[in-house]
Amino acid sequence: MVMKNPKLAQGTRRKLVPLQVLVPIVSTVIALGIGLLIIAATGASVVEAIEAFWDGMAGSDFNIGASINRAISLALVGLGFIFASRANLTNVGGEGQIAMGGMFATAAALHGAGGLPLGLAFIVPLAVGTVAGAVWGGLAGFLKAARGTNEVISTLLLSFIALPLVYWSVESFHLLRKPISDVSSLPESAEIPDSTKLPLLFPDNGSPLHIGLLIAAIAVVVVWLVLKHSTLGLRLRAVGLNATASRRAGMRTSFYVILAMTVSGGLGGLGGAIMILGQQLYLTSDFSSGYGFDGLVVGLLSRGSAVGVVIGALLFGFLRSGSINMEISAHVPSAVVLICQGLIVIVIAGSAILTNRKVTR
Amino acid sequence: MIDEQMAVFIGSGLRLAVPIIFAATGEMLSERAGVLNLSLDGMMLMSAFTAALASWATGSPLIGVAAGVLVATAVAAAQAVLSVTLRANQLVVGIGFNILALGSTTFLYREIFGPLSRDPIPGFAQLNLPWLAHIPVIGPALANQTGLAYVSILMVVVTWLILKYTSFGLAVRAVGEDPRAADKAGISVARTRYLGVLYAGILAGLGGAFMSVADSNTFTENMTKGAGYLAITAVIFGGWNPWYTLAACLLFGFATALQFLVPALQLDVPVALLLLLPYLLALVAIAGFVGKSRQPSALTIPFERGG
Amino acid sequence: MALLELSGLTKRFGAFTALDDITLLIERGEVHCLLGENGAGKSTLCNLVFGVHRPDAGTMTLGGEPFDPRGPAEALQRGVVMVHQHFSLVPNMTVAENLMLGRASAVLKPQDIIVRMEQLAAEYGLEIDPEARIDELSVGERQRVEIIKCLLGDPQLLVLDEPTAVLQPDEIDALLAICRQVALRGKSVILVTHKLGEISRVADRTTVLRQGRIIATVAMEGADIRSLVRSMVGRDVQSAGSVLAAAVDIEGKTPAKSSSDVGPTSPGEAVLQISDLVYRDPHGVPRLDGLSLTVGTGEIVGIAGVEGNGQTELGLILAGLAAPSAGAIVVGGTQVTGCTPQEITDAGVGIVPEDRHAVACIKELSVAENLYLGAIGKFSRFGLLDKSARRKAAETMMRDFDVRASSPDVSMASLSGGNQQKAVLARELSLDPLVFLLAAQPTRGLDVGAIEAVYNRIRAARDDGLGVLLISSELEELMAVSDRIAVIYRGKLVGELAAGSFSREAIGAMMSGHAHV
Repeated sequence: MVMKNPKLAQGTRRKLVPLQVLVPIVSTVIALGIGLLIIAATGASVVEAIEAFWDGMAGSDFNIGASINRAISLALVGLGFIFASRANLTNVGGEGQIAMGGMFATAAALHGAGGLPLGLAFIVPLAVGTVAGAVWGGLAGFLKAARGTNEVISTLLLSFIALPLVYWSVESFHLLRKPISDVSSLPESAEIPDSTKLPLLFPDNGSPLHIGLLIAAIAVVVVWLVLKHSTLGLRLRAVGLNATASRRAGMRTSFYVILAMTVSGGLGGLGGAIMILGQQLYLTSDFSSGYGFDGLVVGLLSRGSAVGVVIGALLFGFLRSGSINMEISAHVPSAVVLICQGLIVIVIAGSAILTNRKVTR
Repeated sequence: MIDEQMAVFIGSGLRLAVPIIFAATGEMLSERAGVLNLSLDGMMLMSAFTAALASWATGSPLIGVAAGVLVATAVAAAQAVLSVTLRANQLVVGIGFNILALGSTTFLYREIFGPLSRDPIPGFAQLNLPWLAHIPVIGPALANQTGLAYVSILMVVVTWLILKYTSFGLAVRAVGEDPRAADKAGISVARTRYLGVLYAGILAGLGGAFMSVADSNTFTENMTKGAGYLAITAVIFGGWNPWYTLAACLLFGFATALQFLVPALQLDVPVALLLLLPYLLALVAIAGFVGKSRQPSALTIPFERGG
Repeated sequence: MALLELSGLTKRFGAFTALDDITLLIERGEVHCLLGENGAGKSTLCNLVFGVHRPDAGTMTLGGEPFDPRGPAEALQRGVVMVHQHFSLVPNMTVAENLMLGRASAVLKPQDIIVRMEQLAAEYGLEIDPEARIDELSVGERQRVEIIKCLLGDPQLLVLDEPTAVLQPDEIDALLAICRQVALRGKSVILVTHKLGEISRVADRTTVLRQGRIIATVAMEGADIRSLVRSMVGRDVQSAGSVLAAAVDIEGKTPAKSSSDVGPTSPGEAVLQISDLVYRDPHGVPRLDGLSLTVGTGEIVGIAGVEGNGQTELGLILAGLAAPSAGAIVVGGTQVTGCTPQEITDAGVGIVPEDRHAVACIKELSVAENLYLGAIGKFSRFGLLDKSARRKAAETMMRDFDVRASSPDVSMASLSGGNQQKAVLARELSLDPLVFLLAAQPTRGLDVGAIEAVYNRIRAARDDGLGVLLISSELEELMAVSDRIAVIYRGKLVGELAAGSFSREAIGAMMSGHAHV
């Protein structure tokens, strides 16, 4: 017999709410502190490293714009993660969904979409990329619903399948590889037509910030509304918590599992398409490298909150920009940031026992 | 000519399978106890780097292996504390350790080896067992392996014996299937799971060390390239049975080795597609199209004693 | 000297005090029964003795030595063994493997266990195939394995937590006989039960628990059963009527039906018609084997049977959670065979399922969300939830059905079992249209007050013209509430009794497959 006491359960939860905010902040600060110690231990000048880091993050309009552009894609992957986790599904395949989104967006931009009227020219590749990511995520949802396949493993494997596909597409002339010229023979696609590039928000001041920011902002609001205030959000939650009871209550549980993974993957695919159309402008085999896991970490840090995703995405967007500049200017390997990220994830996961008494799966 | 290429193919298939065999065999035991270590890849990477470093510093590949195993076991201990004692989400913790391993090995590699990354690391010699070499076609491939490769098969046998004939193995199976029942039979669920995870760490350490000091005699950034994930997949593919898991590892090894064989045979198959073959096979396998097997009931579920 | 001495034991779960200052002696060679309602603290007491939980205050001694087990392992070492309410056997392992678990040497020696099993078979008549897998065994056989596991190490104290709830009558007899034999060998037995009949047959002494406190400890020689019952539920037997009888199962005393208990003499037209229903489980084993049944408007039809004879499967099929292999189900003229849960609900079927936590509610969601789980879209505009309208409607429903919670927004998990069940009833009885209600084991795990409320709701539904199918393993409950009782045995109905002709003996015989009517 398990005794439950409503008063106690509520009391502890209420008391622990600040912890849920506190833990990510404290662990981020600790991890960054350790990062600084490591930099100091290498004998590099910490001041110089921090200066380079800051300069890379926010030293100029260009750098700020580039940092935010990174954050846009991370936020979309993170939104996808929390969308799936609302249905108790863990989508760790962001990397593959970005890759598929980026690859198909490139293909759409290079083959046909470039000639469309200006508005459609970038919307079509964005949509194609989104659908590609959605299919990739939905596939994991389908396997879960139809075959009971654990989505953590299947999304991981789908990522490992997607990456060689991108490699194949930029390596094969009959696919997306650009013809070898005297200037370049690298395995990568041609640059996408100008009309398919995402319009810049501030074209005059040199900032690369593009309208992906608006798309991401809309996505944040929509995901927030759906998860917190919609009938769909409640159904996803019900299905995730107890599939049998949800089925008894008339919900088609398989449908919601597939839907959750499809939307989740679609957000990742959109993130990938925005990366290509907004920043990279041509496809390389490793364009998505690291973004999937960064996005996953953003999703984890947010603890299911869309606002948390925004904060986490900005944090990692700026961290990435900073670390790249730190490596170039101060010669400190950018891998330090990876170390910090790993520590953040571990500390937050480990402190779940403090913030959440419920056994997590 | 064809024979020669087959021999090379089999030899490289086996070599590529060995680290996965080590890691998957240990992981299988850990999963039988209910803990999934997504951090397997991180353990292997840390071990590969540490083994390379220690071997380079001391000149002894054996010390390298010992150091690699030690570090991987330390990662496993941390994973165990988090996933058993602190009941953290095993998958998330695993991903965290993989990011940490990638970051720290890349960082240290650039700091320590950066200027001399072309120097080979002292490694093991191949054994060249004459009595094996006489077997046609596969003989030379079997005989030209380092001692560590044979140890991997030995570990499969040992693991099988542990699970089948020892009370620790019985405890492992019970804890992974029904921890509450095991607890009430007087078995320490936490202790059994700790030992399972540490066992996975030791074997992943051997697998990682094999990559740097026995196979390639060098370390490269992110050199495991997802081998740990492949090992986890092999466990699922193998239905949590040591022999089927071994078979899955060999299959993955040969599937990976195809990327060397196919161009050599001048077949027109894109290498990129060969790269994804093992993962595609694995996906098909776990989707249950290759016979369905049941995973341990309590896999990834933390245990908390209650009424 | 007493074997086990408990003094001042207190156990709290959060702010809830499950056990309060328990002081008790267990003598050597006695069978000591613990009697009490659900939630009285019986299981908690056992779990303290077995080291599953640790007390917040108080001490224990075992054989005169201090006893403070930090876990089952330590309790086992001191010779305390326990058979749990829920079996603790690993299902995909063999009997021998389960018996070796936790006590074998480094290398397994199955031969030693088999020899010991043969000894126990000779001593107590406990026979079982050591190579059989647990999931292939019947419930009774599994319990035998549990008891063998306990007796293997020659224990001092055997604790049995509600061991008879899942057994057939003859299996219960065998179990009680084993308890006596164990006691005869100088060991002590603690037997938890809420069935008075068992107590009078086996106990030397009985301790009554209520709300975590000891109300009385009495020697059974010459004890007054009625006063025991009174102390157990805290009120007089007469006033509680049939409710009490069902809750505590006073053997052989069939409660007389009061006039309000009896339904209309002639039921109306059929609302539920089941014909030749067959269900094979995934392993191909037939669980329902040509079951036919009709329920009319305004009647309560009870299904009696030992658990595991197809009741669970019948409940799942009626809920739309399992598809029958053959046969037909018609509700109010609509074919619902193999239909989805939604289609079945639309046909006017309300379901109070056997497994409340797995099927009826989502404990992490709020009470309001659970009350409208099947009608999430009812309070919404453009797909967005109108939470205040839902809260208002939920408050009304909670008032109508006496669901006690501080607010509709608290989680379902924070409600007592009785209030959870009342919420489920509220939801299902508020369905529109509604012509038929399935109530499967509707009072399991509830306290007396809630049981009474559930019975009243079911009777009121019948009086409103609903057809009700009541599946229960509590015979007294069926006899108190049903207008008609059908008996299920091995997947089909083997007999039926009309109101006024209910008899324990007749139903019991049919339940065990010994007689047909």
